[in-house]
Amino acid sequence: MKIIILGAGQVGTSVAANLVSEANDITVVDRNSELLRALQDRFDLRTVLGHGAHPDVLRRAGAEDADMMLAVTNSDETNMVACQVAHTLFKTPTKIARVRSPGYLDHPQLFGPDALPIDVRISPEQLVTEYILRLVQNPGTLQVLDFAGGRVRLVAVRAYEEGPLVGHALRTLYEHMPDVDTRVVAIYRQDRAIQPDGHTVIEANDEVFFIAAPEHIRAVMSELRRLEKPYKRLIFAGGGNIGTRLARATEQDFRVKIIERDPQRARQIAESLERTIVLQGDAADETLLLEENIENTDVFCAVTNDDEDNILSAMLAKRLGAHKVMALINRPAYVDLMQSGRIDVVISPQQATIGTLLKHVRRGDVVEVHSLRRGAAEAIEAIAHGDPHSSQVVGRAIEDIRLPKGTLIGAIVRGDQVLIAHHDTVILPEDHVILFLQDKRRVPEVERLFQVAVTFL
Amino acid sequence: MLPPQFLVPARIERDVSITSKKRLLELLARRLADADPALHFDKVFDRLLERERLGSTGLGHGVALPHARMKGLREAIGAFVQLRTGVDFDAIDQKPVDLALAMLVPESATEAHLQLLAQLAARFDEERLRTQLRNAKSAEEILQLLSGSHA
Repeated sequence: MKIIILGAGQVGTSVAANLVSEANDITVVDRNSELLRALQDRFDLRTVLGHGAHPDVLRRAGAEDADMMLAVTNSDETNMVACQVAHTLFKTPTKIARVRSPGYLDHPQLFGPDALPIDVRISPEQLVTEYILRLVQNPGTLQVLDFAGGRVRLVAVRAYEEGPLVGHALRTLYEHMPDVDTRVVAIYRQDRAIQPDGHTVIEANDEVFFIAAPEHIRAVMSELRRLEKPYKRLIFAGGGNIGTRLARATEQDFRVKIIERDPQRARQIAESLERTIVLQGDAADETLLLEENIENTDVFCAVTNDDEDNILSAMLAKRLGAHKVMALINRPAYVDLMQSGRIDVVISPQQATIGTLLKHVRRGDVVEVHSLRRGAAEAIEAIAHGDPHSSQVVGRAIEDIRLPKGTLIGAIVRGDQVLIAHHDTVILPEDHVILFLQDKRRVPEVERLFQVAVTFL
Repeated sequence: MLPPQFLVPARIERDVSITSKKRLLELLARRLADADPALHFDKVFDRLLERERLGSTGLGHGVALPHARMKGLREAIGAFVQLRTGVDFDAIDQKPVDLALAMLVPESATEAHLQLLAQLAARFDEERLRTQLRNAKSAEEILQLLSGSHA
């Protein structure tokens, strides 16, 4: 695919890094020649110096031939105008823009074929907020991802000694809970992937990925570890866009505090929030954390825009007794560094955002992509079309589908019905099929599997 | 045999120089949209792109058969483009495409339309036809070759 990326900042760079490894033809546009040079040193891509919304610049970047434009400069206005120019002058098929300001996002009628022609709006802050919310609502999880509009979820969790299933073969899980339909799709043991089957024995400390309908998640987790009580007390460090959105979304059901350093900002958000207690101060201040009963806090989540601050305050909160600590970390190197350390959950905005882009790059009717394990693995929701003649999956039982190595079908969503995959489940046209790929290099094979034949009409 | 009025010289272009799948589909969509005042370029282009997303219509041997169902259309219509050099089309054999026959059919496509598509796919399997289309010197000659009326 020919893709133009506008903006060589953090988002643009991480997107380029992700897409360039997949044999895409990428051109990055930015006004900063140093950022472009740094990109060109690291990746095999083309760069164009200039203002991303300008027709001449876009033409030089190959807009006439591009299949997709990703406008992710730090200016909402540049991104929106660039999409309009691409649409009107170059008929660019897919236009994706980062739009952060709620001032625009609150008016969906601004977007559409007769208004701003932007096919997909990405608000990283909103995606990160939703990602954290799902973690807060599902105690003890490392990751919770939605498929088919939330009808089925993929959950990552660490297994502990006290879980009844630990030390036993997986099939006992299915025997223990005949009424709960679930499928374990991957197990990571000391960072190595294990392809699970009924005989696989779960060990303590395994990272287990399972698929289940939302109402069954707690039952499955109770087999893998001591069940945690629903969280009650939350502290968010940082009163920026993410912290404020999180507080607004949780203040009715939880006891929420926000720690914000800037007095003016603290006053401002205190006025806009109803029940949240806004504290003005430094989230890495031991005295403040102790005064605020950090040892009785269920979740301490650091979401300032400073990686170092988030890492330090989360580590301190953990040492002072916070039950669960989470930190938002932008820099990929820090994410890797902190992943298996003192911080319970590391949240990478890039990881939380990239799936939204990848689903538009994937061939076949792919409607959801979640990038997992720092990009090494992937979970995909694809719609099966056609009939047994024009499709390689429709009309076939799962055991007869030739899946690439390390790939599992976890569930099928048929209309409103969630079917956990069994070996004899037959795929019907328009089924949403949810797959787990241990190795994202197998993506092209899965794409081919779901593509219809030339004569499909 | 092609249906009458399926293809006319005005919707056949040869020796075209373009450099991407996107531009090739754009050109085909323009020619198809010109065929009927009820058709809009944006819609036709979108429909062709949507179908490509489900799976490439690149047949192999440098031939593609982009197609889509179209609301408001009563008869199937086609457009043909012969390129000077092939473009990457994500085809089955990964070979660049230099011969493309696009086709729009009514929203409620019938068995006859399915057969037309299958028949066209089968005809492009003949190496002789492909060579003749590549060497053709005029739109009329291409039309004759595709109609099969010369043989």
